Amino acid sequence: MAETPLDLLPGTLDLMILRTLQAGPQHGYGIGQRIEQVSGVFRVKIGSLYPALQRLEQAGLVAASWQASEHNRRARYYRLTRRGEARLAREEQDWQRAADGIARVLGLR
Amino acid sequence: MGAWRSLSGLFRRRRAFEEAREELRFHVEMLVAEKRRAGLPEPEARRQARLELGDVEPCAEALAERQPGAGREAWARDLRHAARRLRRAPGFSLAAAGLLALGIGASTAMFTLVDQALLRPLPYPRPESIVRLFETSEVRGVARTGVSRGNLAAWRREARSFESLALGYVTGRTLSGGGGDAEVLATAQVSCDFFPLLGVAARHGRTFHPDECHAATYSSAAAPTAADPVVVLSHGLWQRRFGGDPGVVGRTVVLERRPFRVIGVLGAPLDLPEPGVEAFLPWELERSLPRDQRYTVALGRLRHGTELAAARHELQALAAAAAAQYPETNAGWSVELVPLHEAVSATARPALLALLAAAFVLLLVACGNAALLFLARGAARAREAALRLALGAPRGRVLREGLLEGLLVATAGGVAGLALAAALVHGAGQAWPELPRAAEIQLDGSSFVFALLAASGAAALAAAGPAWRVACGDPRAAFEAGARTTHGPERSLRSALVVAEVALSVVLLTGGSLLWRTVHELRETPIGFEARGVWVAPVFLDSTGYPTGAQTRDYYARLLARLRALPGVVAAGAATTLPTSGVGPDFARPVWPAGLAGSPTERAEAWVRMLTPGYLETLGVPVVAGRGFGPEDGPDGPRVVAVSASLARRLWPGGDAVGRSLVVDYASAGTYAYQVVGVFSDVRFRGPRSEPLAEVFFPHAQRSYLIMNVAVRAADGAAPAAAIRQVFRELDPHKPPQSVHALEDLLGASYRRERRAMELVVAFGACAAGLCGLGLHGLLALGVVTRQRELAVRIALGAGHLRLVRGVAGEAVALVVAGAGLGVLLAIGAAPLLGGLLYGVSPADPAAIAASGAALAAVAVASAAGPAWRAAGLEPARLLRRD
Repeated sequence: MAETPLDLLPGTLDLMILRTLQAGPQHGYGIGQRIEQVSGVFRVKIGSLYPALQRLEQAGLVAASWQASEHNRRARYYRLTRRGEARLAREEQDWQRAADGIARVLGLR
Repeated sequence: MGAWRSLSGLFRRRRAFEEAREELRFHVEMLVAEKRRAGLPEPEARRQARLELGDVEPCAEALAERQPGAGREAWARDLRHAARRLRRAPGFSLAAAGLLALGIGASTAMFTLVDQALLRPLPYPRPESIVRLFETSEVRGVARTGVSRGNLAAWRREARSFESLALGYVTGRTLSGGGGDAEVLATAQVSCDFFPLLGVAARHGRTFHPDECHAATYSSAAAPTAADPVVVLSHGLWQRRFGGDPGVVGRTVVLERRPFRVIGVLGAPLDLPEPGVEAFLPWELERSLPRDQRYTVALGRLRHGTELAAARHELQALAAAAAAQYPETNAGWSVELVPLHEAVSATARPALLALLAAAFVLLLVACGNAALLFLARGAARAREAALRLALGAPRGRVLREGLLEGLLVATAGGVAGLALAAALVHGAGQAWPELPRAAEIQLDGSSFVFALLAASGAAALAAAGPAWRVACGDPRAAFEAGARTTHGPERSLRSALVVAEVALSVVLLTGGSLLWRTVHELRETPIGFEARGVWVAPVFLDSTGYPTGAQTRDYYARLLARLRALPGVVAAGAATTLPTSGVGPDFARPVWPAGLAGSPTERAEAWVRMLTPGYLETLGVPVVAGRGFGPEDGPDGPRVVAVSASLARRLWPGGDAVGRSLVVDYASAGTYAYQVVGVFSDVRFRGPRSEPLAEVFFPHAQRSYLIMNVAVRAADGAAPAAAIRQVFRELDPHKPPQSVHALEDLLGASYRRERRAMELVVAFGACAAGLCGLGLHGLLALGVVTRQRELAVRIALGAGHLRLVRGVAGEAVALVVAGAGLGVLLAIGAAPLLGGLLYGVSPADPAAIAASGAALAAVAVASAAGPAWRAAGLEPARLLRRD
């Protein structure tokens, strides 16, 4: 990666985690990898990722369980709950509206 | 998860931590696996993963901390956490707790002494309105003496400022019968207002009725004249001799071979008229009584709303009127009023306040040292704490843990300190019996509260700064500095702590050496007699058993002959009172050279002593001129006296006292002229601080007295106390001595407060100096270790070991000089605290200051030696290769 990786924008990690889990259950490492790959610019530190997962779990937006991983190791898998899906839908809309607004102000559109 | 909730919080937390750790380890493994797939060998992959992710444990802890229920248990958990971390560093924990225990223990003990001996109100209702009365005579140089019964009776009738006035007098009386051996009690005859004035009631029975006092006079010293004599027992005697049996009221006890009906028992110890009184007898204060025998302990209770100054003014006006009306007895005499609380605590006050201050200083030094330890520990914790902060642990929590560590250490220190304080207070009660209420002093609720405050204060002083630095310092700095922990500001903080410790230690050591000089001066002051090897036994004969002077003389003659015959006894004699003993009749009478009576205020007051032959030899008092008393001064011989050198100088400045005629106004015993046959060397009768008295001596054979203090001089190494008691028992089993003491102990008691103050301040100072040494050593050692690279580079560049040693020593010298300079200023400022205690040495004594400086210099050399040695032993090649 030629560019310096960006730190996450505040408040956006939760949204990206929920979006990542929409594709199916995943463990923490996998979530981090996926966000980094898909975004191409963000670096996800474990000091941010796991507290965020814990926060989401405590809010009932994701659920976690121990399962065997692809290499047959025990890993903690997170999946989206019904509440999590609802929240994701709402946040996506909000995000879209916010992004549109910012883009208009910045004259990008 | 539901099952887990029913388990204890501890288990849940542990479980959360383990789960989080496992999850994070999985994360690490996945990263390692990915790097291996990219072609890295296993160890390198692992190293890189670790570099990227850091240590997983603090992160797992941070996650576990955020589990549900964490808030509820936060404090308990953090406390356990802190305790666990302290257990992992036992050296640090024990050292810090020990330091604080020393400071807390010393200051709690001194606080307890001050609180209970000085501050606590006396155990009487409205204690602030009770005053003690003294007669004073400026023209005679008498500052404070007892009150005459005649004067007190007159004031009682005339003065308006007082609810009541009462008096008492203490003397020994023999208690016998009731199954025990005969023993001599300190008994007080008191006027009827005595108990009501104090507000002291009997626990069983009652105190005296006015009619019981009305009839009560005491011939000579002991025997009552009342038909039905009565007695009130002290609480102590009741417990000790009568087993606390309430049925003793109404029974009869035998005092001085006569039956006394017990009418009451006191419920608590009573330290008046003097501490240690065990039985109280009624005493008349109505008839016309002599105005000029000033020996009673007089008390007054001010009326509600009457100011002390107003009462003093009124009594002094009455005294002035009496002086005009009765010049023979009252000319030149006035009266002074002192609040009872002040009268009781005045002697101990300067010593106790100085000790409290000294203990506080020691506490500060201990806190300073503990702060140094916490700083060192904080430096070690900084990396871990910074990591946890970076991983999102709340700042407040990291701070709280640091504070909790301090609090735990201080709690341990406080508990150990309380144990130390209990031992110190107990020891003080034993070793310092002159303290007010010495027997009752022990740790109580106030002591615990004080220890609690001292411990929390110590925790705050020692731990808060370092904890703040750890929690709120820049975490990046901790990482960058790595293991090299002492950079600029931290090192100057440490240096400041050491300088403060040195300064405070100088204050303590200066105080200690001033007191040491004081005790030395007191010990070396020529007191006019040789106390070493002398044993003292007060004897209280009674007029029932020894009704005539001849019988009394015969008893003492036989007693002394037998004592002289004891093996190891060199000499024996007796006197009505002995120097520094305080037991026995001690009073002054007017004297004048025959033919030169003058006005009453021009007459000297001389302290009257009756002596037997052998007294001067036993005490080692030289005869300055003329002779001592001998067999020729018998009952039928010419009336003779001897005088002290002070009295001789005053009456006959030309120095030819022997052969002169001296008139002694001996009150009821008549005013006669006596031939002066000898001048005896001066004695500092009331101890080394006192001035020699004007004294007049009578041969006991010519003026026999029932109460005598027997003195026995024994050869070196002999311990004749048991043999002395045996002689008494054989001679008259009903007349045991009240006590048998070494005169040296009595003399020592006269400056015990100075000695105790000195011992404790020196001990505190030694502790403080030791702590200083440790603090300095720690600072220098850390300096050498953390700068060893730099030092090694300098050696490699040719600096030479000697220069490095000089550098280390120079730092020590700079710190000690700065601290000592500050300390000297503080010591000079604090010297007035010792003002009332010092003797023969000025508060700004250069020798004392120099001594404390020298002691600290020695400590500094000792503590700098190790680090300097290490600096000298550095091997640059090895050190520089290491990194």
